[in-house]
Amino acid sequence: MPCENYKDALTEAAASGADPANALCSNAKMAALRAHFESCASCRAAFAEEQALFISIDAGLHATANAEVPASLLPRVRAALGEAATPRRGWSANWLALGTVAALVLVIFGAYSVRRRDSSENPVSTAANTTSTKAVLPTPLDPISSSNSMANRSSAPHVRTAFHKNPVPQETLASRNSLPQVLVPRDQEILLVHYAGEWSRRKRAPLVAESADETSLAPLEVAPIQIDQLDVKLLAEEKSQ
Amino acid sequence: MQELALIQPGGMARDEFLREAAQGEARREFEERLAECGPLAYRVACGVLRNSADAEDVAQEALLRAYRRFDRLRDRNRFRAWLVRIAFRLALDRLRSSKRREQRDTFWSHPAHQPPAANAEDLAVSNEFQAHLDRALGELPEKLRLVLLLAAMEGHTIDEVAAIVGVSAGTVKSRIFYARKQLAEKLRCHAKTIKTR
Repeated sequence: MPCENYKDALTEAAASGADPANALCSNAKMAALRAHFESCASCRAAFAEEQALFISIDAGLHATANAEVPASLLPRVRAALGEAATPRRGWSANWLALGTVAALVLVIFGAYSVRRRDSSENPVSTAANTTSTKAVLPTPLDPISSSNSMANRSSAPHVRTAFHKNPVPQETLASRNSLPQVLVPRDQEILLVHYAGEWSRRKRAPLVAESADETSLAPLEVAPIQIDQLDVKLLAEEKSQ
Repeated sequence: MQELALIQPGGMARDEFLREAAQGEARREFEERLAECGPLAYRVACGVLRNSADAEDVAQEALLRAYRRFDRLRDRNRFRAWLVRIAFRLALDRLRSSKRREQRDTFWSHPAHQPPAANAEDLAVSNEFQAHLDRALGELPEKLRLVLLLAAMEGHTIDEVAAIVGVSAGTVKSRIFYARKQLAEKLRCHAKTIKTR
């Protein structure tokens, strides 16, 4: 049989990695190929070329598929992950924030100008108002100012200025104090938040009950004390006299 | 040492905090997989694009896309297969749409990525054959190309490739056989030309 008839069989054998010389002759076709292969030198040479070609292909594929990964890849991806995790505000949110700030500035400026106009038009009443404001300002939450309130009564404007210089409102301080920060293990974050949610819900319930009692109960009415006319009796000696 | 977190339980809405905690958990889980699967995404992209810079871009994009959709992946064991598919698809898109295709530097022109060669003549022959191989690889059908690339990667068995691609091991073997045969048919004349010089 001419060599041309075995060409495809030899190529397939090379592609599959089989060696016709050592192949098990499971069928007649393979037996014929093996017999021809042993007797034909040109087919053996062609098969060796095919094998070399597949070895080159495999080596090239290995080089292509196992390219060295640049060291910059993972840091780049981690940095991009950080950016992706931060929620980006849309343009509408930015405009909203800008508008809020602008409105706030206008309100503060308006209030300030009205106040200045009042003080320039009626300095006496403003001074009286200042005094009354001063008397109200000290609160139990601010022990320093309450203890000094009597001593500083003569220097009331100074006290008032000090209050205005402090940018943190007392309410904010109180609310911050009521929300403590806690260090917890990573795996207990969610549990703690659950607990905090339950805790705040339970805490809110009695407060609601308290406020309901205050509104429903009528003020206690006490009847005026009635004192009968005193009946003063004379002593025995006074009687005898 | 146990990692601690500073939190303010009452400082934010409960749902918001839970959402953030879940996002943090997902991110930690994703980053654990990143070191293992990042190179895989790069190599798949590089096998298609044959250009280091483009492959790095595509790998990054694939990983970011996988991160954004990570919560939708129900079976986290399928992450590798999922990522490979994303990277392969993105790399094909990049290859098709790239207008710089003719202008870009070939990956193999970089000395660090060349296979070892004995001398200058071998090097030239090797580069030329590799260029022909890359071109022939690019002409293979997508199914055959992906399987051939995955099978050529170190550490991938036939079963693992089958799991990644989502076909049987027999189908993987068959695709590898036909892919190599097609490559041999395309490269035979080039191999002979190079040999006769």
